[in-house]
Amino acid sequence: MEEILEKLDIWGEQSGAGNGSWLKCSGEILKSISPIDGKEIGRVRCASKEDYEKVVLSAMEAFREWRMVPAPKRGEIVRQMGNALRDYKEDLGALVTLEMGKILVEGEGEVQEMIDMADFAVGQSRMLYGLTMHSERPKHRMYEQWHPLGPIGVITSFNFPVAVWAWNAMIALVAGDTVIWKPSSKVPLTAIATMKIAWRVLKENGLPEGILNVLIGNREEVGETLIRDTRVPLISATGSVPMGRHVGRVVAARMGKTLLELGGNNAIIVTEDADLDMAVRTILFGAVGTAGQRCTSTRRIIMHKSIGSELTQRITKAYQQVKIGNPIEEGTLMGPLVTRGAVEDMLAALEKAKEQGGEVIYGGNPLAGLGEQFVEPTIVKMPGQTEIVHIETFAPILYLMEYEDLEEAIRMHNEVPQGLSSAVFTTNLLKAERFLSHEGSDCGIANVNIGTSGAEIGGAFGGEKETGGGRESGSDAWKGYMRRQTNTINWSKELPLAQGIKFGD
Amino acid sequence: MPPLVTLDTQIEDLVLKYPKSVGFLTRKGIRCIRCGEPLWCTLGELLEEDKVEDPQTLIDDLNEFLKEQD
Repeated sequence: MEEILEKLDIWGEQSGAGNGSWLKCSGEILKSISPIDGKEIGRVRCASKEDYEKVVLSAMEAFREWRMVPAPKRGEIVRQMGNALRDYKEDLGALVTLEMGKILVEGEGEVQEMIDMADFAVGQSRMLYGLTMHSERPKHRMYEQWHPLGPIGVITSFNFPVAVWAWNAMIALVAGDTVIWKPSSKVPLTAIATMKIAWRVLKENGLPEGILNVLIGNREEVGETLIRDTRVPLISATGSVPMGRHVGRVVAARMGKTLLELGGNNAIIVTEDADLDMAVRTILFGAVGTAGQRCTSTRRIIMHKSIGSELTQRITKAYQQVKIGNPIEEGTLMGPLVTRGAVEDMLAALEKAKEQGGEVIYGGNPLAGLGEQFVEPTIVKMPGQTEIVHIETFAPILYLMEYEDLEEAIRMHNEVPQGLSSAVFTTNLLKAERFLSHEGSDCGIANVNIGTSGAEIGGAFGGEKETGGGRESGSDAWKGYMRRQTNTINWSKELPLAQGIKFGD
Repeated sequence: MPPLVTLDTQIEDLVLKYPKSVGFLTRKGIRCIRCGEPLWCTLGELLEEDKVEDPQTLIDDLNEFLKEQD
């Protein structure tokens, strides 16, 4: 561990606020504790409100310069950041694992996602397209262009300590915005290490401080201050529904923009004609991967009653093969939950499921022998979609339910308040198309014969209903980080009015 | 001895210092962790949002529970 910390230059007490260099912070000490063994990895001196102010002023000042760098040149800076991240992929990936608890291949995969985002953003920097329109007035030209917004706030969650920042920051950078990042207090070192890598690139290119900023601190000092700040036109927040609801209310009250990526309660419908081999492998990855702590984790299986028994047996058999343990070790498929509180939350949810008629088919227990935060991945057969199934428990609990016809399956699928990711396993084209149609899945992501998790960066990521409606990452998500301006140019010597209005002629 | 938690306790602090309280509250239908992260509010605000009729009694029960855990 020491070697990784030294390579990433995060050995010793770290500052929790920076804009290209580190501020001497005056907040409390935050300990970064590994969920693997409960040991301290490092310490961070948190940002105070005064530190916050310094960082925001710096981000505003830098914005005035950064927005004047041509977008393709901004893309070139982002390209260099992607390359710098390539150099640190192994070490940064290992730090993600140590600090958050996901297995090493997933930790490295997360860094790869940052690199992919950088590559994507480089191309996007030459494609910040606006439309042109035919004016109804002679010798007039209308078009729209997209301008940078300003310093934007990015609030990220523990489960993707750096990838979600990259979804936002890489796009925001090519859009001409500066970025103020509030990472989760559970993974501060990963954020600091990432900032150090990115800042080196900015410095080597002679760019000012304040383009990429980080603030580590509690909700009162940093979180609330950030979302209430009228100088920050956009808040992109990833986390829970209550947090998103609060952020949405506060930012809307000051007429700011939000981009919310909140909870999911993702289901896979498995039809009677599905390829069960593929379905089982997918369900295993979706439900057990990252210990069920992804927004897109598979939490519900809605299976046709004719294959219910066989699928249940096969999933149970697959669960028995899952190696649980130290996520840094090769071969481990599931590491710990992020906190002891998360373990308590899972166990309480299982009690509720049993009260509501659920039968635990596999797992259901903490694994104290491995450590305080290890649990068995758990399968629960439910008699129906009861109250607990409507709730997103951020843990490896998989609810199995049966259906009789696709109509019922889709109704069950859409019955929950969340609307992030979804999938159907079927070899029937009609069923697949129905699921993807507007009478099918109501989620932001809907897949056929692949699972609910593991989205590619090229598509827009996000969901509907309580998931918040925001879209990050690919497709045209970049528009959320810019402001649209409609322009009309009169190249005639007349002043015709729209709608044929004559005024004082 | 002063109570371990009060209506003014931040959920962030509650979850960090007394993780067992998460299970205690969840069993009563009050969820203070979502998406693995503590909610952004005080315990009092959470109980108010969840329309708990007698928040102080619940806090007293929680304190009792936490003392037993010690």
